[in-house]
Order: sequence, then structure tokens, then C-alpha cells
Amino acid sequence: MRPIHRVVLVVCLFAVVAMFLAHSAMAHAILLESSPSINSIVAGPNIPIRLRFNVRIDATRSRLTLVKPDASTQSLAITKDGPLDALASQAQGLPPGEYRIRWQVLASDGHITRGEIPFQVTQP
Amino acid sequence: MARLLQIFGFLSVLFRGGTLSFESLTIGGIVFLNFVACSRNPQSEVINQACLRWIRRAALALAVTQLAYILASTLILMQSASMTLADVSGANFVLAGVLAIASALTIAALAGAGSSKGYPVMLVPALLILLSSVMTSHAMARLEYRFPLAVVTALHQGATATWLGGLFYLLIAIPRSPESRFTRQLIARFSKLALLSVAVLAAAGFTLGFAYVGSLDAIYGTSYGIMVATKTVLFGTLLLLGALNFQIARSPSGGAVIASLKRFGEAEIGIGITVILTAASLTSLPPAVDLRTDRVSTQEIVARLAPQPPRLASPSIQDLPEDIYAAEVIAFDAGTLSSASFVPGQAGTRPNTPAEKSWSEYNHHWAGLIVLSIGLLAFLAQTKHFPRARNWPLLFLGLSVFLFFRSDPETWPLGPNGFWVTLQDPEVLLHRIFALLVIALAVFEWRVQTGRVATERARLIFPALVAGASALLLAHSHSLGNIKEEVLAELSHAPLAVLGVLAGWSRWLELRLPAENKVRDSMAWLWPSCLLLIGLLLLNYREM
Repeated sequence: MRPIHRVVLVVCLFAVVAMFLAHSAMAHAILLESSPSINSIVAGPNIPIRLRFNVRIDATRSRLTLVKPDASTQSLAITKDGPLDALASQAQGLPPGEYRIRWQVLASDGHITRGEIPFQVTQP
Repeated sequence: MARLLQIFGFLSVLFRGGTLSFESLTIGGIVFLNFVACSRNPQSEVINQACLRWIRRAALALAVTQLAYILASTLILMQSASMTLADVSGANFVLAGVLAIASALTIAALAGAGSSKGYPVMLVPALLILLSSVMTSHAMARLEYRFPLAVVTALHQGATATWLGGLFYLLIAIPRSPESRFTRQLIARFSKLALLSVAVLAAAGFTLGFAYVGSLDAIYGTSYGIMVATKTVLFGTLLLLGALNFQIARSPSGGAVIASLKRFGEAEIGIGITVILTAASLTSLPPAVDLRTDRVSTQEIVARLAPQPPRLASPSIQDLPEDIYAAEVIAFDAGTLSSASFVPGQAGTRPNTPAEKSWSEYNHHWAGLIVLSIGLLAFLAQTKHFPRARNWPLLFLGLSVFLFFRSDPETWPLGPNGFWVTLQDPEVLLHRIFALLVIALAVFEWRVQTGRVATERARLIFPALVAGASALLLAHSHSLGNIKEEVLAELSHAPLAVLGVLAGWSRWLELRLPAENKVRDSMAWLWPSCLLLIGLLLLNYREM
């Protein structure tokens, strides 16, 4: 085999393998249910938060962030000793408006996933 | 760091695929060395040394891919979750990765020492590598039956490594065997081990399938189920090749027999790597049992797959969103898809507009016409009665031009985005490279078909590329949620991928099998038939 042929073969195979992998992503922790639920309307000002996933979660290496109506963010403390597949927290003193909970979890098998839960807070 | 976040999904699967492949090669080599090439015959020393060299290479490659995976995931966690290195270092994936790296380096050192006393010792770090792999499998994150599933996963991966990894070492050993009697002993020992591995692999696979898929409607109704079904079909193909090999191994000895064995072994390894990569992409999907809502029904599948005339008229380019990728990002930022679970760096999935679906169907249908023509001409060329039909690879040039113009309508030459700007988008760049690859494929295979290239290795480029590109389709789309359109798209892509893998490896076998082997004649007709079927399936591809 001529060197140029070998180079073409190697480059072609590498590109094919790279393309094979390019569209993939490795993770499988998905949100099964949440409180507040997606696009729900809840009465403020104190909102208990609970997210349940399909797999075990490494809670100490997972994060919950509240995105406020003015787009500012607040990190939410995750309750310790919760169920293995859930994250729980509490958002205090929320005035009415559109909010989002941004979550990022590390599953027990080492895979990272993210997502957002939009919800609306009204007067109590 | 932002760049790393953007390509994190890509890197994760790259490393996972690499890890599983090198793990199979490392463990398979150690098992082969201990249980197949275990002869004390001094003449077998050449075989042992060759195996040790490859075990060392595979172990070092495994250590490098594991290290890269740990580094990428650690950086992502530190950046995205404001963690310190100390916080991340206790994570399960770090512990598993460190265990794999330490074990792989131990194997590399033992293999480098080359002493036969070290062969059984290598089984210990091999088992630890298996353990580290199980630590980051689906089983470890399950809420129920965690331990039994971990054991079954270990058996599944161990059997895969023994069979497919071991086969690689058998192909290394055969040409180095000092005499034919010794070769037959090697083959006989490996056949027994392979049979046992296949039995364990199938039993463990069935158990895992039952645990993670759970029901018949989940097989066709979810992405995970479709991928498991595809993996099963490819496994069936491997079994067929294995059976052919087993039959050959029991027939009287001869040069053609050994040559056939090696050629079937090459195809088995190639399809085996495709299965391993499919398994790597399976880990990117949530198990089907976890997705109980929005599964695709049989009625929806029948409605989508019912034959209809192809769409040969394109929608206007003005009907498409100005920038498809920007539209996806805007859709995600706007929160319309905020309920979706996604991997860092993965763009939000936005439902396609009717014009985009029509555009895509038109692309698939014209590509189908070209591939159907290629299949027909290749079929005619095989009859030897139509010499001009041998020019069929030139039709790939038309496919390349078509892809170049149609794959990214928002970019040059059809769209407003300039040529250099397009090269900054990884997806567009990949499409451009793919178009160039198709040109290279066309020229190479045309020269082969018309007798302008005589070397055998050059003739293998076409089948290798067809098989490799078909494997691409198996990981084309991975929705973490149960997005029906994506599941239906995967239902269309999976048969195309399987047919492509069959076309590639049957052409490979046609070229590589000795003339005495009658299977060669069947292979000569199988690959044009696969191309014909691919063309027909593309012609009926639909997105609405």
C-alpha cells in the first residue's frame, strides 16, 4: 500500500469514527417529576422544591439554582439525607413573578445532566 | 472552558467508546494468553510476545482514554457547579477511573516485563478493570436490583471482551503459529472459549434487556428499545459468522480453511466494534423502563412507514428558518424546551417546521434515488454482462454535490452565512468533510472497479468506509426524553445502519475470502442487494 493511500485510509476512518460519535451524548439521569411542576402556578412566598429522577443521584455534587424574574440567580441549598433519587430544597420569600429552577445532577454512574423548570409564583 | 462545555457531549462518548474498545482488547488479550495460547511449547513464544505487545498497547490506550475522561468531567463539574478539585475527587466516576488507570498501567508493566510467570497475575488487574467499568454502568445508578444487575453487567462485558477481544489475538496468533497442528489446537481452544462466552453474553444480554426495556411496546416505542433491538440484530449477524467459523474450524485442515477463518474473524471484529460502539451510545440513553409516557404506538409507526410517493420537489429556501442552529439555541433560551433533560453542551431540540421536514424528506428521497441507481448498477456489474455498469461509483460524485448544496441550507452557497463562517460550526464542518469523503470514496472505488487500482488494501477502503459510515447512523440522534419524532427517525435510521454494516462487511468478505469458499459467491450478491434496499428505504423516509 502506498503511503498516500495509507494516510487517506487512516484519515477517512478517523473522520467516520469521529462523526459516528459526534451526535451522541452520555447521560441518562432524567427528571421524572418535580414540585413545582413544569409551567405550574404556585402560591408564594415560600416554595418547597423537590425533583425526582430515574436513577440514584450524587446529591453532594449536584446543584439547584433559582433564576429570578430579573434574571439574577440564587444558589439553593440541597437538603441532606433525602431519597437517593431526589433533590429537595426550599425557596424563601419569593415575590410574584416568573421563575426558573435550573438543575444540574451528577448521577451515581458519573454522568452529568441539566435542565430547567419554569414556574410562576402568585400572591398567597 | 466554555469551548470544553460545548463539546463535552462529544468528548464523553468519544472516551466511552474508546474505553470499552480498549477494555475489550486488554481483557480479551489476557484471557487469550492464559487460556488459549497457554502452551509451554517454546515455539509458541513468538505468539506470546506478539500478544503481550498488543496487550501493552491496549492497556496504555485504555489508561489514556480513562484519564482524558476524568479530566474532562472534572473540569466540567468544577466550572459548572463551582466545586473544588477536592470536592470532585471523591465522585464515583473518579474512583472508578483511577482504579481503571492503575490496573491498566499494572498490566502494561507486567506485559512489558514479558515473563510467563506474570500471565496469570494479569488476570487480577483485568478483573479490576471490569469492576471499574461496571461502577460507571447503568446498573450502579439503579434504585432496585442494583447488585444483581452489576454482576450481570460484569458477565456481559467480560464475555464480550473474551470473545471479540480474544478473536483479535487469535488473528494475531494464526500467522505466527509454528505448525498447522498447533494452529488447529489454538483454534479449537478458542472455539470452546468463544462458545461459552457467547452463551454467557446472550444470557446476560437477555437479562439486562428484560430489566432495562421491560416490555414489548418499549422495544419499538422508545429510542433505548430500538437501539437494543439493533444491537440484537447485529449480535445475530455475529453469531452467524461465528457459526461459519466454528464449522470451518471442525473441517479438515488446509490453507484455504485457515484463510477463511481469518477473513470471517476480521468481519466479526469489525461488526463487534460496531456493537461495542452501539453499547457506548446506549449508555447515553435513559433505560426504556424509565420512560413510560409518550411512547410511539404501532399505529403511529404504521402511519409513518406506509409507502408513499417520494417527494421530488423541494420547498423554497425562503420557507426555512434563517439559521437553524441559532433557532435551536433561541428556542432553548426562551424556555420552550426547558423541561428537557440534557447534557452540558447539547443544544435544545426544537420541533422542525413543516418546511424543514419537507426539505429533509426531499434530501432523503433524492439520495435514495441515487443509492438505488448505485445498487442496480452494482448488481448488473456483478453479472459480468454489463461492463459499463462497473462505473457505478461515479454516481457517488452526484451524491456528494447534492449533499454539499442541500445539507446546510443556511450556509454558503445557498444561504446567507459565508464560506469561512460555516467552517466555524462543527456540524457544518463535519458535513463538508463528509461530502469530501464521498468524493474520495467515489474516486477510489471507481479506480478499483475499473481495474486501475490493483492493491488489495486500496480495494478495502470502500467496504471499510461503508461499514464505518453506517455505524454513524446508530448514534445519529439521542433524545434523553421520549421525543416521538426522534424515536420515529431512529426507527427509520436503524434498518439503514444495519443494511449498511451488512453491505460493508459482505463486500469485505467478497474481496478477502479465498476463491474456494462458497460463501464468497453469496457475499458478492449480498452487498448490492443491501444497497438496493437502502435506496428503497431512503425513498420511503418521512418526517411527517
